[in-house]
Amino acid sequence: MVGGILFIIQYFIPHQYSQTLFDYYMEWAPVIAAFALILGVGSLTRLHSHKIKRRAENWQYSYAALIPLFLMPFFALVLPESFGGGILSTMGGTRTTQGVFDFAYMNIQVPIQATMFSLLAFYIASAAFRAFRAKSALATVLLLTAVIVMLGQVPVGDLIGKWFPKIGLWILRYPNTAAKRAIALGVGFGILATQLKIIFGVERNWLGGAGE
Amino acid sequence: MNIWEKMLNLDRRWIFLLIGIVCIVPFFTPLGLAILPSSEVAGIYDYMEDLGPQSAIFVGFDYEPGTDAENQPMGIAILRHAFARNIPVFITAYQPLGQGLASMAIDVLTDETSDDYFEYVYWADWAEVREQGFTARADIEAAWIAAGHSLPENCRGWVFEGRDVAFLGYLPVFALAILGMTNSIISQYPQDVAGNFVEEMPMYQDHKSLRDVDLAVTIAGSSACQSWVTYGREKIGLPVAFGVTAVMATDYYIFIQSGQIIGQMGGLRGAAEYETLLMEGGYCKVPGTAFIGMDVQSIAHIFIILLVVVGNIAFFAGGLNKKSKLKGRR
Repeated sequence: MVGGILFIIQYFIPHQYSQTLFDYYMEWAPVIAAFALILGVGSLTRLHSHKIKRRAENWQYSYAALIPLFLMPFFALVLPESFGGGILSTMGGTRTTQGVFDFAYMNIQVPIQATMFSLLAFYIASAAFRAFRAKSALATVLLLTAVIVMLGQVPVGDLIGKWFPKIGLWILRYPNTAAKRAIALGVGFGILATQLKIIFGVERNWLGGAGE
Repeated sequence: MNIWEKMLNLDRRWIFLLIGIVCIVPFFTPLGLAILPSSEVAGIYDYMEDLGPQSAIFVGFDYEPGTDAENQPMGIAILRHAFARNIPVFITAYQPLGQGLASMAIDVLTDETSDDYFEYVYWADWAEVREQGFTARADIEAAWIAAGHSLPENCRGWVFEGRDVAFLGYLPVFALAILGMTNSIISQYPQDVAGNFVEEMPMYQDHKSLRDVDLAVTIAGSSACQSWVTYGREKIGLPVAFGVTAVMATDYYIFIQSGQIIGQMGGLRGAAEYETLLMEGGYCKVPGTAFIGMDVQSIAHIFIILLVVVGNIAFFAGGLNKKSKLKGRR
């Protein structure tokens, strides 16, 4: 509680002492965050080791999680540069060819994540065909708005009708902004209320208790 | 089961196949449709046009590979604009994987086999020029040429590490890093990713904190960009611009209207608009991947709209709106 209140007040005091306090905090915060990494790696390792030991359902995939978890840091930090170790961007031009870490990052991790996100296009197309229905007046408005914005966002919309991009942008700039602002204000007040409850100890679920 | 019902119960794998074809074919037969830049994107471009070697910007690669297709062209376009105008760029990353994507963006711009590439001069390579006491951009380039270097064909210019770019990379708890940089950049980044001391860099001498920086462009695939507004714009008045995915773009029009950001690139369209402006401005001869990708997006959007129309016709013509549910595989 003391820490929370202190740093709310600190933000508004442009004094040297206040700044010194903040500077200390800035040094401490990343150190504390580093412990979260240890906790995360430890927890993930324990979870998957147990799954493998107990031969739990889909235990084979735990190897797929654990092996890269340790191999990637090994390639980046432990493997000697002469054997392809290290991270290319950190070498300042002393080596110009990819190492194992960079190869795995660019040719495995990037395509895998991009592929996962790209799958959305397929599911959206299927969902649009099966579920996007003009069943009611409101659903019809939603459907028409979606069609106008979709056409307004692509150059082919210009060819179909010059007004598509204009109306599409108008929808984004005004009705959309009005609705989003209302939501953002609601979320903002919600965050403020929750944070005050946490700082003053009213809300204690995050400590692991039931909040009584 | 009537024909309409059969149509609506179409195996979804056919739709997957069709969307796959629709996404691949335009790459081989580009349509090259014209793209009209919006005021949101032109706002960023015009702001950059007013900057020069005396200015400095931050470019945050605040996304992960999942949104690479949309975000990466934005990062490349902003970096191209900055490099071409010799605007010093501090490159950061909100997420660990963003650092690798920033590195890939630099690789694209410095690829000698591509048109309009830049020659990257590593910090150590121009040590002799620094030892002669040159710190101004024009003086450094003149001394570099005097040392016997010349621009290869198709090359747009040199990018001097430490003068034109400082690759600062990823820091954990990045919101705090932004707060810290409002007082001092080296308090958060004493060294760049290659271990060079930022304090020794000529670009740092004129831009010691975010208060001395002219613009922060955050290319984001998450709500990371809000941290730049909260801690950069609101605390010290740092001008901020967004490059966000299309689904996120709708969330951030409120920041444009309130004047908290100077502009926004929304999705692949936003990146393509910036690429169009770069081509019109003579910064590159060939379009980037976003411009090409807009052909794919055009056809894909038309296809999805057709699916919606056909789906609705089948739904109502078949009287299925009166039935409680459809049979068969979904």
